[in-house]
Amino acid sequence: MATAATTAKTHTSDIVIIGGGPAGLTLASAIKNSPILKNLKIKLVEGGNLIEPLEKFNESPPPNFMNRVVSLTPATISYLKEIKAWNHFKEERTETYDNIYAYDGITNARIQFDSPEIATMCENFNIQSGLFQRIKELNQDNAENPLEILDKTKVIEIKSDEKNKWPILQLSTGDSIKTRLLVGCDGYNSPARKFAGIESRGWAYNRWGIVATLKYKDDAFRFPTGWQRFLTSGPLAQLPLPDNWCSLVWSTTPELADILMKLPEEKFVAMVNAGAKLSPSEMDYLYKLSAKNDETLMEEISWRLNLFNSKLKEEEYENYPLEIESIVPNSRGRFPLKLSHADTYVEERVALVGDAAHTTHPLAGQGLNMGQGDVKSLVKVLETSTERGLDIGSKFALEGYFSERYPANHVLLGIVDKIHKIYSTDFTPLVMARSLGLDAINNTPFLKDFMVSQISNK
Amino acid sequence: MLAATYMKHASTRCWTKNLPLVTSVRTSRRTFILTALSTAATAAYSFVSPSISLANSLENGTYKPQHFQTTNERELQNLEAAKSNKPMFTRPEPNYPNHVPLYTFEKAMLFLGSSLGAFLHPERNEFIVALGESTAHPYFLNLLRDQMLSDPVGRQILKERPNITSTSLDLDHLSNLPPNTFGRTYVDWLHKEGVSPDTRVPVRFIDDDELAFIFQRYRQCHDFYHSITGLPIVREGEIAVKMFEFLNLKIPFAGLGAIFAPFNVKRRDERWRLFEVYYPWAWQCAIGCKPLINVYWEKIMEKDVNELRKELGVIVPPDMRQLRKVARMRRLKGLTN
Repeated sequence: MATAATTAKTHTSDIVIIGGGPAGLTLASAIKNSPILKNLKIKLVEGGNLIEPLEKFNESPPPNFMNRVVSLTPATISYLKEIKAWNHFKEERTETYDNIYAYDGITNARIQFDSPEIATMCENFNIQSGLFQRIKELNQDNAENPLEILDKTKVIEIKSDEKNKWPILQLSTGDSIKTRLLVGCDGYNSPARKFAGIESRGWAYNRWGIVATLKYKDDAFRFPTGWQRFLTSGPLAQLPLPDNWCSLVWSTTPELADILMKLPEEKFVAMVNAGAKLSPSEMDYLYKLSAKNDETLMEEISWRLNLFNSKLKEEEYENYPLEIESIVPNSRGRFPLKLSHADTYVEERVALVGDAAHTTHPLAGQGLNMGQGDVKSLVKVLETSTERGLDIGSKFALEGYFSERYPANHVLLGIVDKIHKIYSTDFTPLVMARSLGLDAINNTPFLKDFMVSQISNK
Repeated sequence: MLAATYMKHASTRCWTKNLPLVTSVRTSRRTFILTALSTAATAAYSFVSPSISLANSLENGTYKPQHFQTTNERELQNLEAAKSNKPMFTRPEPNYPNHVPLYTFEKAMLFLGSSLGAFLHPERNEFIVALGESTAHPYFLNLLRDQMLSDPVGRQILKERPNITSTSLDLDHLSNLPPNTFGRTYVDWLHKEGVSPDTRVPVRFIDDDELAFIFQRYRQCHDFYHSITGLPIVREGEIAVKMFEFLNLKIPFAGLGAIFAPFNVKRRDERWRLFEVYYPWAWQCAIGCKPLINVYWEKIMEKDVNELRKELGVIVPPDMRQLRKVARMRRLKGLTN
């Protein structure tokens, strides 16, 4: 009987990127796009099934929009254009919008941003598929040294080589890879970060983000607008998608998230409509009815909404989003919200990008965009180091990335956290103060322009 | 003309007497020049004056060209004229029939006037009505509305919006009910006090129509609060009911009445009764009983009144008319005052 000896090969590479999400794929395509870095040996390791679903998405995209959608800032899109990946995105599935409308859930104080192409909504999968097509295109031009994507491959263990301390990744296929630089784009529970011994500090918000894909009623015209209502339990956001569809992101407490996820789809749509307009005490009563899945829920919501709509003057119609008509079946999902920031982004032989380094509340739509900013900065630092002949895996070479990105990310994380905290309370003096502040900022054009420029040009 | 009269007098003056005829020619030439100049000036002015008046009217915006005006220009002109005729301030539209939208300073003046009037002359209805509506700030009414919305019966009242009038209650049917029912108690109280459930004054000054309905409901149910507690309609009774309402419903107007009205009560025994008997009763009763705004009075007319009182948590206070009669007798006998 011949025993088949498993030949476990040890590969060597310059950079190994763990994680095939938007951050990892952007980093991979940016490195291969760069004339200075394109001859490095790069491997991308992804634990889930990546290539097949992305090819399928590219050839025959699904008829409905998927429920994980992100808002891309103009800065992100210009970088994607710079690495020539944007033309592989399915633009007909993205929606560029000019208006953002945020209003308070208790006092209806509001702030309205009106700036051309303030952001673009894009499905996560669209981003990944576009980047994957760009990688394929780059590999065609660079046949001797293509980027290898190892999907359906989990990283079992990361060890450190005794002699030169290079990370060695033990893969589930049995192979192992020794690499000069390990980049962790592997999300919040990053094994790369744990290998490097970097602490990540923060707290869970004790909130869940419910996502769904909804369709607006066709009864009036609205410019594509991003709506966000700050309820005390968390913000309810409706983000525009093409053709009068919209993506819902409703951040709410765990108890309410349970209640809302268990509701039948028609009642869930009615609750979203109610959440956009009704007062907190009315909503409390509706939550109680929803908990029991009471039959009178739809009647009560339509009575209160009709009363509310009948009191609106003509010029106030545009202050509220259109009502939702229907929901894509089984498009409801939820994910937990937390704040975290790693102590450092770089260690010897390790760099962290994206969610591995920082996570934030989705209320400002900045999480993925911060990751894209990280990628841009890391690529620049790698280019500089390579031009100077440095060892790209050394902490000395990588520190420029950390010092550039950490303060900017920290400030944004802090601001988003404070906004969440300010709007999570219903203590009357604070509510009055924040409404006054919001109205004041709404009427100060230069402040709003400053805020828009900070968010979109970063 | 002036020159002619001068000429007449001139002949009498000494120094002109001996002047040759040339003088009259000179003066007549001066007249001629003056006349000529004035005519020329008038002619010039009449030549220029249409331009001046045109310029004036253009500046005023009242220019009305008679010729070459297209339909569009005419319409625009009419619009401008209409705009100049429109007053600077127009009242907002009424939100419900009987609504009189007031500006904030008007509401403030209403409050000042009616508070003084209600303190000095509480028997006059207009002051009480106006004080109630001007102090009913949306903040308090919203609290009341939220309370009603969270109670199932209160919600039903808000949905159906029942209106209590003297016809809608059917007093004949109520007076034929057995004596322990609430309906009978109510009709008996009406007869005892000599009042009728006259249609209360409709709410006029509250802006939101749902809040206006809530205030209207409060006004219409006032008599029910009287009858379930048995308090009479004398001023002392009204003050006691106001205290009870304030503690139960937290309406500011009731609170103002309960706090300030006793200052105008002059008789010592009346004041004693208010502070020692009825205010403590109101405190004890109102805190413990259910919010009475959530009671659908029209539907519980046939209920046993004591059962109703126990269910709501209402304690019956000492009979005010009885106590007043006793006090009056003692006063007449000269015992106490």
